[in-house]
Amino acid sequence: MPKVTSLQLPINSEQPRIMHIDLNSCFAMVEQQARPLLRGKPLGVTNRKTKNACVVAASYEAKHRGVKVGMPFSEARLHAPDLILVETDPPKYHYVYQKLVNIMKGYSPSVTMKSIDEGIIDFTGTERINRRSLQEIGREIKARLKDDVGKHMTCNIGIAPNRFLAKTAAGLNKPDGLDTISYSNLRSTLSNLELTDLTGIAQRNEARLNGAGIYTPLQFLDAPSELLYKRVFRSVCGDDWYKRLRGWEVDDYESSVQTVGRQYVMDEWQPSEEALRARLSYLCETTAMKLRYKGLAARGVMLYLMYANGDHWYERRIFNQPFFSNSDVLTRASLLFNRRPKDDWVRMMSISCYNLQPSNINQVSLLEEVNRETWLTEAVDQINSQFGEFTVTFAASLPAKGLVKQKIPFGSTRYFELLCNSA
Amino acid sequence: MENIININKDVSVVAYYFRNAGERLRCFPKRIEWEGKRVDFTETGLRHPTKKGQRMVHVFDMTDGNADYRLEFDAEHLTWTLVSIADISYAQSNLFAAAH
Repeated sequence: MPKVTSLQLPINSEQPRIMHIDLNSCFAMVEQQARPLLRGKPLGVTNRKTKNACVVAASYEAKHRGVKVGMPFSEARLHAPDLILVETDPPKYHYVYQKLVNIMKGYSPSVTMKSIDEGIIDFTGTERINRRSLQEIGREIKARLKDDVGKHMTCNIGIAPNRFLAKTAAGLNKPDGLDTISYSNLRSTLSNLELTDLTGIAQRNEARLNGAGIYTPLQFLDAPSELLYKRVFRSVCGDDWYKRLRGWEVDDYESSVQTVGRQYVMDEWQPSEEALRARLSYLCETTAMKLRYKGLAARGVMLYLMYANGDHWYERRIFNQPFFSNSDVLTRASLLFNRRPKDDWVRMMSISCYNLQPSNINQVSLLEEVNRETWLTEAVDQINSQFGEFTVTFAASLPAKGLVKQKIPFGSTRYFELLCNSA
Repeated sequence: MENIININKDVSVVAYYFRNAGERLRCFPKRIEWEGKRVDFTETGLRHPTKKGQRMVHVFDMTDGNADYRLEFDAEHLTWTLVSIADISYAQSNLFAAAH
């Protein structure tokens, strides 16, 4: 039997064992579930109720009218003048997220949440427990979501041999779809899609593929591995795409945390020095909280500023000792902040910590001042845990406390618990 | 833009508890009264727990068919708070005075 290499890999003919579950327009649907009078109306969810804030989730009624996720509210209102805008409510979404996770974990120990509103169940090895078809289980999951959360809740479910095709299947019939992509219908399914319908293929990758004479997903599927590797992607990504499209798993990995940070678009057009420092202080506090929440310490700090004229400036620095306390992050960020150009108004500010390592918060230092700083941080964290986040906070952060809100993350759920505690 | 009025007042509640219902419908606050006003709810939108420091608070998003109401039940102090009413213009015309 000839050795099968990636260059001549066949389409995976195994039984589909991966299920991708995606809540439809998650935040908007949860808001419509919570508030029955919003159902059937165009609804946008935003982090901040201002004219220039963007829509982070839109109901299907809004999407049908042309409202897109990421669109500024002022533009969205042009598409749907009666658009209703509500602010994000993290504890509500966290509750639904927990319900979804509990439902999913009832079917397999291998459950991976890709974001707040989508997750994957790997049924490999559960054949003896789950004797029913995955389609039947999918219908049961939809019913349980309605029973456990509410009757307005719907989800898309995709079933396929690998994560990529399962996600593609989940997007075929929105909303409330249940589709399977397998060896038998892979070609017919791909023949009805555009290149940009594939997750991971946006304008740039589409242009790369077009440059090699590939204009449809079917041509992409039929393209030889060597062409994708050497001409289109010019990296191992080409090989990954070759396998991915054929139903072989290449996306089963977990990424580690490389940076921890916060960013904020200024709420004032011409922020004063005091206003900037208040927001910087608040961002540093929340960044340090994130670090400690993950049990990490950082050695590097980067500050990024965007100005009104579109220019940007950033500076980063590595320090000898790792740090994790609020004051440590603020002191180091202030060092960079003091060196910023002051020619124009700051529009956006971002602080991030990098060069991360496990925190040694439990290790007693020989230096008394280091211990005092650690103990103070622990005491403040305990008080804030008991009475709510920001019960004890920097005085400098107070002006920003009501303005800089913790935002709902689009992708990761790494800080969801922390976000809900401070909401 | 929708009309949300923050109330933040303690209210009297008549609630039904269903022993055999699922978690979602185990507690149904049927009626609230405050400052001479009365509202009878017809549906629970969502009930979710949340924490305020170490205190557990259950948030009920309710509707009477004319407006949406947010109620909070403090599990430590056993108090009910009417947090806000959305679409108050509808709500105001449909509130019944408890005195009637």
